Amino acid sequence: MKIALAQISPHLGDTGKNLDLHLRTIEKARRRKAGLIVFPELSLTGYTLMDLVPEVALKPGKAPLFRKLAAWSRTIDIVLGFVEERGTGLFYNSAAYLSGGRIVHIHRKAFLPTGGMFEEAKFFAPGKSFRTFGTSFGRVGLLVCRDFLSYGAAYALFAGGADFVIIISAAPGRGTIADDAFVTSHMWELMGEAISYFSTAFVVYCNRAGFEDGKVFAGGSFIFGPDGRRLVKAPEAEEDLLITDLRLDGIRAARKKWTFRRDDRPEVILHSLQRIVGNDED
Amino acid sequence: MMKISPAFVAKVLCAFIREELHKFGFSKGIVGLSGGLDSSVCAALAARALGGKNVLGMILPYRDTFGRDVEDARALARKLGIRTRLIDIAPMVDAYFSRTPTDNRVRIGNKMARERMSILYDHSVLEKALILGTSNKTELLIGYGTIHGDMACAINPLGDLYKTQVRALGAHLRLPARILRKTPTAGLWLGQTDEGEIGIGYPEIDAILYELVDERRSVQEVIASGFKKEAVKKLERMIVSSEFKRKMPPIAKISSRTVGHDFLYSYDRNR
Repeated sequence: MKIALAQISPHLGDTGKNLDLHLRTIEKARRRKAGLIVFPELSLTGYTLMDLVPEVALKPGKAPLFRKLAAWSRTIDIVLGFVEERGTGLFYNSAAYLSGGRIVHIHRKAFLPTGGMFEEAKFFAPGKSFRTFGTSFGRVGLLVCRDFLSYGAAYALFAGGADFVIIISAAPGRGTIADDAFVTSHMWELMGEAISYFSTAFVVYCNRAGFEDGKVFAGGSFIFGPDGRRLVKAPEAEEDLLITDLRLDGIRAARKKWTFRRDDRPEVILHSLQRIVGNDED
Repeated sequence: MMKISPAFVAKVLCAFIREELHKFGFSKGIVGLSGGLDSSVCAALAARALGGKNVLGMILPYRDTFGRDVEDARALARKLGIRTRLIDIAPMVDAYFSRTPTDNRVRIGNKMARERMSILYDHSVLEKALILGTSNKTELLIGYGTIHGDMACAINPLGDLYKTQVRALGAHLRLPARILRKTPTAGLWLGQTDEGEIGIGYPEIDAILYELVDERRSVQEVIASGFKKEAVKKLERMIVSSEFKRKMPPIAKISSRTVGHDFLYSYDRNR
């Protein structure tokens, strides 16, 4: 199976221009026989939206833009990021999985970074769940950026039987060391390595590139295989379209070797969590 | 960590200069060239990002007060293949002070910095080019710059690099040794040096700032880790007292949606 990581730099606040950018990139990936293309977080809108959030929000069931993208998903599966409006006036930082001409799944970012340079909870409502869903490649779970740094989120996808954990991201680079990457890029890979290994699943991380108000989006998109080995990495802090051929039988091979999946006991985890959540002390 | 990978930082900063200019429909940049380290590094990055012919180095001396600096700036421009324009600011500055004479060096220095700003912004229109700022992180934190003077710019590629990191970047960019060795000065008056004014050397200033700002350690913790008590306290005072130079002026809030308070858009929106 061929997968494309679209490390693009979206236009801030211009969904029309970004739709064109998506279609151009999808066409390139399709010509190279990719079966799935993954775009970064908020790929249809750009990241630093603030008061633009209501202005760029889309209702996936109604927006013509989604109909166009869905039509393209008849030939290639598409993961992208957008501002979702639910009901009237509730806005989410969402990821959509499109396939076979329809929206198969929407994940709403549950962990909204707010503090330091981040202020997402000022503008977005938080999502509430992590669920896996079936695709022609296997079971997939979606996460948006900061979701992935809460390992409970990845556990929920593991317990849900994920063969693929797909993270879409708009992570700015922070901290330089005597190395050709930001310190924070190592952080994402550290989690990618651990989660892929202990989930015996592919971890696919697509980050964006470009600049917004001086923030440098660090790129460095990567894929880890079900054996915990890094298969590819896109360049740091520049645009790229990275296409990789994945061997899906690697999942079974990893699970023959390591029985983490068989040995999982979600009921024990749930019981422990219920006791913690039930404790109503501050 | 204070140590940077200069090649990686140069790549990021060149992309920043190129993208920010292009987003706003510009292909040319202007740098005020003093002959010192910061403006030389900025010009070198700009030349690499935009191509030499798209960079204008403005050399703006006051008569021949800093004679060698003009020569250094010219030599650098030749090496980088960028255009230059030299304008002596003495007639404008002298005309002003002939009406209100003073020997206050700060007033004179600030006036010169703002005269240069005025000329740079005039050339921004003339050349359809954006001004690239040269204030580094050290200067921004301790307020070592003239507000609306040398701190004024359209974008600032160097503002998150300490002086010692700018020097490392300069070495990577193969700037002339004379420029790399130069004593940092705000150029407000002849013989002024940053280190002379602050009382400690740049490596120590940067190390203390890094502890206070990047590592968010308290003054007491930084002193306890072995830095000179007086130096740490002085730098902390300088950071606090220069906050106004790093912010837009406060706007008195009257309405329900106010510029600077809750009219929240990005600089780069719809670009």
